[in-house]
Amino acid sequence: MPHDVTMPQLGMAQDAGKIVAWLKAPGDAVAKGDALFEVETDKATMEVEAQAAGYLTGVVASEGDDVPVGQVIARISETAKDDTPAPATPPTPEPASDALPEGKQITMPQLGMAQDSGQMVGWLVELGAQVGPDDLLFEVETDKATMEVPAGARGYLAATLAQAGEDVAVGAPVAILTAEAPANPVARSADDAAKAQALAPAQPEPEAAPAKPAEAPKPAPKALLAEGGRILASPKARRLALEQGLDLSRLVKAGHPQPYHVSDLEVLRAMPEGQTPSTGTAQASRRLTARVKRPELEAFLNWAQGQGVDDTDAALAGLLGQGHVQTLAIERIGHARSFAILRRLSQVAVTEDMPELILRDLRGSFVQNVELGAEDIPVLTLLPKGKGLTLVLECAPEQLSAEAAIALLNTVAGRLEQPLRHLL
Amino acid sequence: MREITLSQAVNEAIAEEMRRDPTVFLMGEDVAEAGTPFKVLSGLVEEFGTDRVLDTPISEPGFVGMAVGAAMTGARPIVDLMFGDFIYLVMDQLCNQAAKQHYMSGGKLTVPMVLRTNMGATRRSAAQHSQSLQALVAHIPGVKVAMPSSAYEAKGLMKTAIRDNNPVVIFEDKLMYQDKAPVPEEEYLIPFGEANVKREGSDITFIATSSMVQVAEKAAETLAAEGISAEVIDPRTIVPLDEATLLASVKKTSRAIVIDEGHQSYGVTAEIASRLNEKAFYHLDAPVLRMGAMDVPVPFSPALEDITVPTPEGVAANARKLCAGEMIYAA
Amino acid sequence: MTKTNTEDYLRMYTQMVRIRTFEDNANQLYLSAKMPGLTHMYSGEEAVAVGICEALTDDDRITSTHRGHGHCVAKGAEFKEMFCELLGKAEGYCRGKGGSMHIADQSHGNLGANAIVGGSMGIATGSALRAKLQGSDDVTVCFFGDGATAQGLMYEVMNMAALWNLPVIYACENNGYSEYTKTEEIAAGSITARAEAFGIEAHQVDGQDVLAVNELTQKLVARARKGEGPFFIELMTYRYHGHHVGDINREYYRSKDEEKDWKENRDPIVRFRGYLVEQGIATEDEIEAINAAVEKDATDAVAYAEAAAYPDVSEVDMHVFAA
Repeated sequence: MPHDVTMPQLGMAQDAGKIVAWLKAPGDAVAKGDALFEVETDKATMEVEAQAAGYLTGVVASEGDDVPVGQVIARISETAKDDTPAPATPPTPEPASDALPEGKQITMPQLGMAQDSGQMVGWLVELGAQVGPDDLLFEVETDKATMEVPAGARGYLAATLAQAGEDVAVGAPVAILTAEAPANPVARSADDAAKAQALAPAQPEPEAAPAKPAEAPKPAPKALLAEGGRILASPKARRLALEQGLDLSRLVKAGHPQPYHVSDLEVLRAMPEGQTPSTGTAQASRRLTARVKRPELEAFLNWAQGQGVDDTDAALAGLLGQGHVQTLAIERIGHARSFAILRRLSQVAVTEDMPELILRDLRGSFVQNVELGAEDIPVLTLLPKGKGLTLVLECAPEQLSAEAAIALLNTVAGRLEQPLRHLL
Repeated sequence: MREITLSQAVNEAIAEEMRRDPTVFLMGEDVAEAGTPFKVLSGLVEEFGTDRVLDTPISEPGFVGMAVGAAMTGARPIVDLMFGDFIYLVMDQLCNQAAKQHYMSGGKLTVPMVLRTNMGATRRSAAQHSQSLQALVAHIPGVKVAMPSSAYEAKGLMKTAIRDNNPVVIFEDKLMYQDKAPVPEEEYLIPFGEANVKREGSDITFIATSSMVQVAEKAAETLAAEGISAEVIDPRTIVPLDEATLLASVKKTSRAIVIDEGHQSYGVTAEIASRLNEKAFYHLDAPVLRMGAMDVPVPFSPALEDITVPTPEGVAANARKLCAGEMIYAA
Repeated sequence: MTKTNTEDYLRMYTQMVRIRTFEDNANQLYLSAKMPGLTHMYSGEEAVAVGICEALTDDDRITSTHRGHGHCVAKGAEFKEMFCELLGKAEGYCRGKGGSMHIADQSHGNLGANAIVGGSMGIATGSALRAKLQGSDDVTVCFFGDGATAQGLMYEVMNMAALWNLPVIYACENNGYSEYTKTEEIAAGSITARAEAFGIEAHQVDGQDVLAVNELTQKLVARARKGEGPFFIELMTYRYHGHHVGDINREYYRSKDEEKDWKENRDPIVRFRGYLVEQGIATEDEIEAINAAVEKDATDAVAYAEAAAYPDVSEVDMHVFAA
């Protein structure tokens, strides 16, 4: 059986050794204990002895090579002509002749919400030329648009790492700007650059300046963000506010002193609805109304009770939410409860999950009309109207499309008019 | 129930266990006829003889190392380390040897030994005889750490420690040796890892160790008169730590102060506060506060020494602020 | 009493060859990067471990050092469990948790190697204290190197061992070097005089002569069992390898000529082999058969250990505390 010759591990923190010289040639007979080759580590040079007798074959490392510890570099075989293929040796990465200059990396900018790469249309500056921060550096095409990207910094275009027609991942480097004029500016394809990147240690990459027409994704609305910074509130107060659908920013606007604790939530609960506009009012909003002349809710609730559903809110949530949302909150003045909507009415139950839709039930109130604007999630308001009801659906355009909003309101109105029919 | 001192309780626990188990023996500096400088072990040599109550030279690493070897081969030594400050001298034997034998041997070797020592300042003993170094030991996996807060705990925890199959370090508060508490005459053990709710309350939880349990109880008394209801919990062992009881209390009260006589930085209070923060964060209505000894070597002068350790007044003052929603540190 | 029968001699020879063979294989495992970590070779010092351990029973305890494979083999350990331990495998003596520097085999009384120089002196003396307190007649041998004589712990425990007449034998393996420094540069005065200062009877013996070591140890063990301990032995020996496996360029602290002289003229195995043949206790063929059997045993054990499973990750927090 052939015996593998490996690069020995010689030191405590050593991971490779350099072959200084082979002391035997391929095909030479060797005896156990013969010096095979000489190896140099950071600490010392030593001769490595053969651990078996036979013939030296399959030599895959040459003098001068740096070889990782433990890697097979040759074999000692029973015959001099063992020509089974040498063990695969991963090539030591050769330093590229056109080594990348050191400087500021320019990366492929993220231009859209769901974009993960951009296509390099072309460079707008010659390789090696000097640029200022506002100079347009390259043109990029996404699925939505084509735009010109400014350099975002001052320097010389010392390397381009992607060429016209190539797709580059968002955040991947496309160029390097150096402070000094480069002696040998480098142009590479994105493919080569990606390989080089994989070998180089990760480093933080400053992003290119945002492209002018970039449609920046809107930050998700954060209920707890107040104007001028973060609200100071205890973790418990925040959790309860979240669970109970209370908006701490209303306390800020009312001038109630921070930090907020659980006791301050009482103050918030006591504040009349709508005293301060919700943070979402600035958003564009959709508002749709519907009319239900003779809602047959009584009959439905009696029927639900017969099915073992005593909680009328649970029954209502199940009736209106099913098929539309998984969680629905029923909100009345002063309190709110969220329900998880399951297929069977009897399974609808209170949940702590964030609702997807608020049903604001103002049937017992004097409120005749609402126009509150879009909130963090769509709100469906029930208002008294004679013996019937007015339904108002308000939401932001990105929450529901026009079709979806119409469909939702229409279905809900239908269910209120003939609840039992929906169930059958 | 009869009342005995903490010192008597320790003595009784050791005597009972030495009568029960012939492999238990005691060694340390001046443990025999002298019965230690605090007289905690007086009388034991008369009953058990110098074979089982061994006076050693002043060689802390030597006799602690020997206890490790004796424990590894079938004995149950109790080592007396005259002052907790001498822990530094025995760190290799305790932390490199005793703590790791069971693990390094894949569970084959055990080190059933007890190191009893002390802690506590305000005895005018200055910087090298006043430290509370439990955090140093508790940091090392493989060592259990018990901190009795009264004679009752001292006896029950000592008996459990002697029967435990691991190295256990018991820190007794040297100022409490003469404090009396009700201790049953019949045998009892206090299991490790079971905290004791000393006083129930609803507004704030005080988690206090050893000497600091009394401090917390006094603060709770003061606050009760003001309408603030404080719960006082004594973990009794910091390794293992009864996290469940601490978390349940803090989830109930939403506020906590952790009090321990070790230096505040990187200490027992920090560890417990951090766990509450990680595991009860959304139940907290105020930051969890640490109250440990000041980060200074313990000074000799009474005028200085007394202000280095937490006091009932200090605990009560912080509790009032937390319960009122005031910020102790600016936002 | 010196062991005189053929069986005892052949076992001593075999045990020395087992140590040398174990170390040669361990060295290869390390050099071929199959063995993780750090290891220290016992080759050259075989007569010390074997001469002493052959005078002990399984009830007698030893404490070992970072250079501990030899003590472990000499005290009766199996290759398979030892190689598994060196490779961090679940079937190792310590379930792979200790490795080369913490290998322990309590079934044969080996309380474990210790990676703190001099760190086990308290443990050995404590084991002897336990024997005395419990009226057992077992003896504990504390192995340590010349480098460990610089640790304060040694003086503390020798003092107590002498005060209390404990059945412990301090076996100082003086291989001439404290890591990368000549012993005479780290130790003032005489090594044996250190023990004599406490009134401990101290001996110096040729650590390359297994019979001399065994004869002396048998006498001292017998006396220690009768309560005449403690004793101190300085064993003059030599380590063929560097301080650890990677210590390859050693000429700044010792010459190649010196190494060659010890290997060629004072090797404990070569010497004892010559004695056995000369005395007609074994033929060259019989000796070669022993060597071959040990070699096969080692090769099989290495192959077994290489193929053996690593411990399951669920074991990582097992054995922190005993039940």
